[in-house]
Amino acid sequence: MIDRYRWWEYVLIYLGLGLLLVFVLAPFVEAFLVSLRPLDGLFSIPYRFVTEGMSFDAYFTMWKSVPLLWRYMLNSFFIAAAVTVLGLMAIIPASYAFSRFEFKGRNVMMGCFLAVNMVSGAVLIIPLYKVMQNLGLLNTYFAMIAPGVAFVIPTGIWLLRSYLMKIPPELEEAALVDGAGRLYTLVRVIIPVAMPGIMVVAITTFIAAYAQQFLYALTFNSVNELNPLPVGLYQFFGRQHVVWNELMAASLVGILPVLLLYVFLQKYIVAGLTAGAVKS
Amino acid sequence: MGQLNMRAVHKTYGTMEVIKGIDLDIAHGEFVVFVGPSGCGKSTLLRMIAGLEEITSGEVQIDGKRVNDLPPVKRGISMVFQSYALYPHMSVYENIAFPLRVEKMKKAELDARVRRASAILKLDERLGHKPGQLSGGQRQRVAIGRAIVREPSVFLFDEPLSNLDAALRADMRVELSKLHSELDATMIYVTHDQVEAMTMADRIVVLDGGLISQVGSPLELYHKPANLFVAGFIGNPKMNFLPVVCESSGLDGVTVRLEDGGKLRLSVAGRPGMEGQKLTLGIRPEHLTTGGGDLQLTLLPRVIERLGMQTVAYASYGKDETPFTAVLAGSAPAAVNQPLHLGIAGSDCHLFDRDGVAFERDVALTDLDPTQLLQAAS
Ligand SMILES: Nc1ncnc2c1ncn2[C@@H]1O[C@H](COP(=O)(O)OP(=O)(O)OP(=O)(O)O)[C@@H](O)[C@H]1O
Ligand SMILES: [Mg+2]
Repeated sequence: MIDRYRWWEYVLIYLGLGLLLVFVLAPFVEAFLVSLRPLDGLFSIPYRFVTEGMSFDAYFTMWKSVPLLWRYMLNSFFIAAAVTVLGLMAIIPASYAFSRFEFKGRNVMMGCFLAVNMVSGAVLIIPLYKVMQNLGLLNTYFAMIAPGVAFVIPTGIWLLRSYLMKIPPELEEAALVDGAGRLYTLVRVIIPVAMPGIMVVAITTFIAAYAQQFLYALTFNSVNELNPLPVGLYQFFGRQHVVWNELMAASLVGILPVLLLYVFLQKYIVAGLTAGAVKS
Repeated sequence: MGQLNMRAVHKTYGTMEVIKGIDLDIAHGEFVVFVGPSGCGKSTLLRMIAGLEEITSGEVQIDGKRVNDLPPVKRGISMVFQSYALYPHMSVYENIAFPLRVEKMKKAELDARVRRASAILKLDERLGHKPGQLSGGQRQRVAIGRAIVREPSVFLFDEPLSNLDAALRADMRVELSKLHSELDATMIYVTHDQVEAMTMADRIVVLDGGLISQVGSPLELYHKPANLFVAGFIGNPKMNFLPVVCESSGLDGVTVRLEDGGKLRLSVAGRPGMEGQKLTLGIRPEHLTTGGGDLQLTLLPRVIERLGMQTVAYASYGKDETPFTAVLAGSAPAAVNQPLHLGIAGSDCHLFDRDGVAFERDVALTDLDPTQLLQAAS
């Protein structure tokens, strides 16, 4: 690529990028700083970056003040992972069908999926509650996973379908000529070739599931042991005061798995994209 | 066995008829090439034979059995695609082994078959590589390997060499011809490259707008094109066409008058009642000679290409400025906008009636010099 920018254009670009980064990262920095501060240093006026007595104490004491913290973190991870796995099991075959087969109502259905995306889970939470109650599913993992799966599927299908449509149909025709059935082709040819796309869908699904579980847990679950982290964090809200530093420490530790996953999978995506070998 | 018969095969997409009734018999072991202009239905016809495209009406038989409703494997065919369609995540070995894995073949036999295919195609050192690490020619060989490993009786190729550069294409052409004789299988090959068609085919099928225009050996098509379309399509540069009027017509020859008054006797079988009719005379660019011939034409060259071995003159003829191409010797004294006098021989000419149907030429194909053919094709 030819260097097309002048130096002042670079300055502007980086300034813009910097501004965006500050905007995005500031909450994290603040959360981190708060997690280091003793409680009485929190509301100092004027604001100071460094306050006296900063330490990592909160990262140790939080496990004692909320003994089930590790459990909440595991629950969060488990629910999000379950939603992702179950979601992909529906998304992959469905988006394959939507990308390859002509059938009646295909476009209508895709339109409906888009519409479902626009309705957030919150709108449906009361009817869902009734359903769960009637089925006797309240206070189970299932109650928090199933609605999550339902809401990630439409987005996932839209995402993956556009990726699958880019895979040359000749690849499947070759497999068909070689004697492979549809399912065999899907498992042995399409899924491996579509892996980068599937990873992207998996990541977005996982993040969406991680974010949306709060609502479902709050509504459908009252068993403490089953709560995911966002609900569990409420336990840092005491009667008189909120233990802000431990709360922030727990939040940061809680998002760590997602962060790690993301970093790891991002590498995978890049590797997958460059390994493409279909002559076009 | 790999015998193929097509009976009144039709294909329509919606209301558009793409294949308009094809009858064709292909014997076991033949190398048949489909050629035709873009969009004439070559790929569609091939894919119908393969079982990738439904047959709207008519019948396709392989080894005497109707295969219209069978999936590709059950037809005993295999196919090589223009884009190779290799599985990018599998090694060369696994790519070639794929059809056998589908069959759940025993390890030992599978390995033996893959090794045999890779030996034929000289891919032994590449078995562990991924398709992405191979050159275009090697990828094409892997695709062929995947096709031969199942030992089908009919091979289908859809423009397999069109993604390769000229030198590699020439190599692969020879390799494919060798493969054909080694495997004793029927091959059906789609191309729009005339050289491929002329050099590899036992028989060429010329398609035009979903219909067979002519079927014949390369020499037959070159020397006895059945109609204007085939005459213009086979041969490069294209055959020149001139309007003429029939003077006299007999079984042993036809005499025609050109627009400048010159008369020429052609060795074609005439038909009665042709006198006075407007006909079309065809003469290939390579059959024009400087000096000699039965009749002299005066051309006005517009562009001259000197290729060393040959000189190609793009000229115009007569007052209508009919485009006219001549292939002359490398040192031919031709210059742009300098009138050029070239001779044509009546025995080299083709004659077509008003419907474009050729008059039967009186040439014996066996007496022909093969180098002429190569020249024409290159
Ligand atoms: N799926 C389809 N739906 C509608 N029309 C189609 C379809 N596939 C092919 N056609 C039409 O059928 C005709 C023949 O197509 P085909 O691909 O067989 O041409 P071809 O002879 O192989 O041309 P080329 O040399 O460009 O590959 C074309 O006019 C094309 O537009
Ligand atoms: Mg084609």
